[in-house]
Amino acid sequence: MRLSSKARLVPVALVTAAALVACTSTGGGGGSAGSEGDGGNAKLTVWSWDGTVELAVPGFEEANPGTTVDVVNVGSSSDLYQSLDNAIQAGTGVPDLVMFEYFAVPYFAIPGKLTDLTTLGAGDLEDDFLPAAWNNVKLGEGVYALPSDYGPAAMFWNSATFAQAGITEAPATWDDYYEAAKKIRALGPDHYIAQDTGDLFFLLSLIWQAGGRPFTVDGTSVKIDFSEPATKKAVDFWQKMLDEDLLNTKVTAWSDDWNRTLNDGSLATQNMGGWLTSTLPERAPDAAGDFRVALMPQWEAGQTVGAENGGSSFGIPEAAQNKQAAYDFLEYFTHGEGLQPRVDAGAFVPSAKVLDDAAFREVPNEYFGGQATGAVLAEASKAAAVGWQYPPFFEWARSIYGDLASPLYTSGQGSLAAVLETWKQRCIAYGNEQGFEVS
Amino acid sequence: MAALTHTGPVAGATAPASTPRRMRTRRRQIGWAFVAPFGALFALVFIVPIVYAAYLSLFQERLVGGRVFAGLANYTKLAADPQFWDGFARVVRFTIVQVPVMLLLAMALALALDSLRLRGSKFLRIVIFLPYAVPAIVSTLMWGFMLGVRYGLFRNLNDWLGTSLDPFRPGATLVSIGVMVTWAFTGYNMLIFYAALRAVPHELYEAAAIDGANQWRVIRAIKLPALRGSLVVTIIFSIIGTFQIFNEPQILPSMVANSGITTYYTPNLYAYNLAFTGSQQGYAAALALVMAAMTIAIAYAVQIRGMKRALQD
Repeated sequence: MRLSSKARLVPVALVTAAALVACTSTGGGGGSAGSEGDGGNAKLTVWSWDGTVELAVPGFEEANPGTTVDVVNVGSSSDLYQSLDNAIQAGTGVPDLVMFEYFAVPYFAIPGKLTDLTTLGAGDLEDDFLPAAWNNVKLGEGVYALPSDYGPAAMFWNSATFAQAGITEAPATWDDYYEAAKKIRALGPDHYIAQDTGDLFFLLSLIWQAGGRPFTVDGTSVKIDFSEPATKKAVDFWQKMLDEDLLNTKVTAWSDDWNRTLNDGSLATQNMGGWLTSTLPERAPDAAGDFRVALMPQWEAGQTVGAENGGSSFGIPEAAQNKQAAYDFLEYFTHGEGLQPRVDAGAFVPSAKVLDDAAFREVPNEYFGGQATGAVLAEASKAAAVGWQYPPFFEWARSIYGDLASPLYTSGQGSLAAVLETWKQRCIAYGNEQGFEVS
Repeated sequence: MAALTHTGPVAGATAPASTPRRMRTRRRQIGWAFVAPFGALFALVFIVPIVYAAYLSLFQERLVGGRVFAGLANYTKLAADPQFWDGFARVVRFTIVQVPVMLLLAMALALALDSLRLRGSKFLRIVIFLPYAVPAIVSTLMWGFMLGVRYGLFRNLNDWLGTSLDPFRPGATLVSIGVMVTWAFTGYNMLIFYAALRAVPHELYEAAAIDGANQWRVIRAIKLPALRGSLVVTIIFSIIGTFQIFNEPQILPSMVANSGITTYYTPNLYAYNLAFTGSQQGYAAALALVMAAMTIAIAYAVQIRGMKRALQD
């Protein structure tokens, strides 16, 4: 504790000192960035935590002699955003391309830190991407990133556990899900249909699917409202699941404990992004052959409405040196030839062309008992409802959600609706302090 | 050329008279040269960041509109921030309980080692000190696994005793962190005490033996007074340390669900989250400076009191 917290401060101190020096020295001379280096010999730096991006580099370099691409993994998404903010503030070391979760795009775009890609030709690409994914990178008339991977909300269900409970088909509606939850709960003291320890992204995807749009962003004015009927419907449903002890509130996702309960089948479903397809086999090898993928349960029988749970995109910082070359590479790996090697390596991309491709849809997935998971997830992707917006300060907002939700999940004090209301108040106070007009 | 050759002898002529003064200035310059590397480094990693933090604390960062001068607004906001005071009160409570427990334990161990009645005291010394060498992150992970009720040791213990104790329920988490910290730092403090005991002149023990003092009397009259100076030092170190708690509350939430650890659990954690997820560097800088000032004030008060007692006795 003692020594290492001091040790932690040393790099921070050095960084702040360096930032100070850099700040004072760049003030006047930083205006010419952008034009130099375009075409000819460009050296691109890409910050990304997506391992498949590198796979597009050889093909791109071959097609663009003289251009070299350096893909750097700067760490987790929050590490990356911090580093980018520092680099922009310092005025040096700003990369040419940066990966963003969808919710982080407005955070950088609104203060003018990202290039509007329509100036480079991105406006023509709209129809080739999934509408909901495209909606994530648009802000007003501008396009500030290109979608690179996608997380359609889907339900991963353990068919063996369901069979034990006497259920042979995936719950098609949330009512079915509720009935299934009771049967699975009856299997044993550790058996639950799902776990929840305050998963904000899941709750938002539930609201999203139900048709609630709690955030509306228009330039710098932000509205937050959890009182719409559709939002209330989703929140009340999940509250009922909590109240009737149908959810495991002791196991937190991504913990060792979570792995254990997934392996032994005592957690029967996971409502998460489609990206879980590639993670689940590592987390739950013992459950091989048991899991299946289905669309998220629907609010009304016969509907096909979906939502998103995660996904990311790439943008070009305003301070980047080689914008045209950066855009060429961006276009190449999110839309052009560079897509295929990424898809072959397991990337799930929001490209209409790829999702319609029979080769992608019909491949049987051994872990999922030979199910063609690509087809299900492609359908889930197309079902994702449009019109959702994240507030520009969502990165901060999500970090404090746990503080507020914790009492509910540990001792049952309060309700989800009350947590969301307090959360809203905190978001309003913070947003206004940050210069937005939030109500 | 001519002028140059001419000035040489002239300068040489005046040399004898001025030598002592010149040597003195040169000696002074050499002194500075020796200190310079340290001074430069000290300024770079210590003075500059503090001055920069003080400067930053006068500004507010805004996503819209950028950095604006705010005067003392960050400080007045901090004074009224319930989250800051919640974290502050928590580390104060923690300090009041954990520091005495840890130091008494360390003292008892040091006395036991010094009594020479233990077998393998060198080995014990190493073993007790060893946790200090374990990185805090590793130790947190380790304790997290041991105290977790859904896996590992504590689950077995609960099964065996038929209890359902949870060391990471919101009310108990701070105690569990106290256990981790005590485990990690008792050995370190014990070594300081032990060194102080070894420095006691042997004649005192001989005199005590001649006077017929028993072991308890020796401890009360010789050993405990000998520990007073190091006690002041260890108390100050421990207070500074507990005020900086960061690693444990930073790591535990990713291991345990709903342990009650908030983003403002300790002031250090709060500052970190303000700066890095809230992009409120100015506010975080103000918090850091205020915390530093309070820590220094408390440590100083302890030192003054300790000194006074030491002088009186």
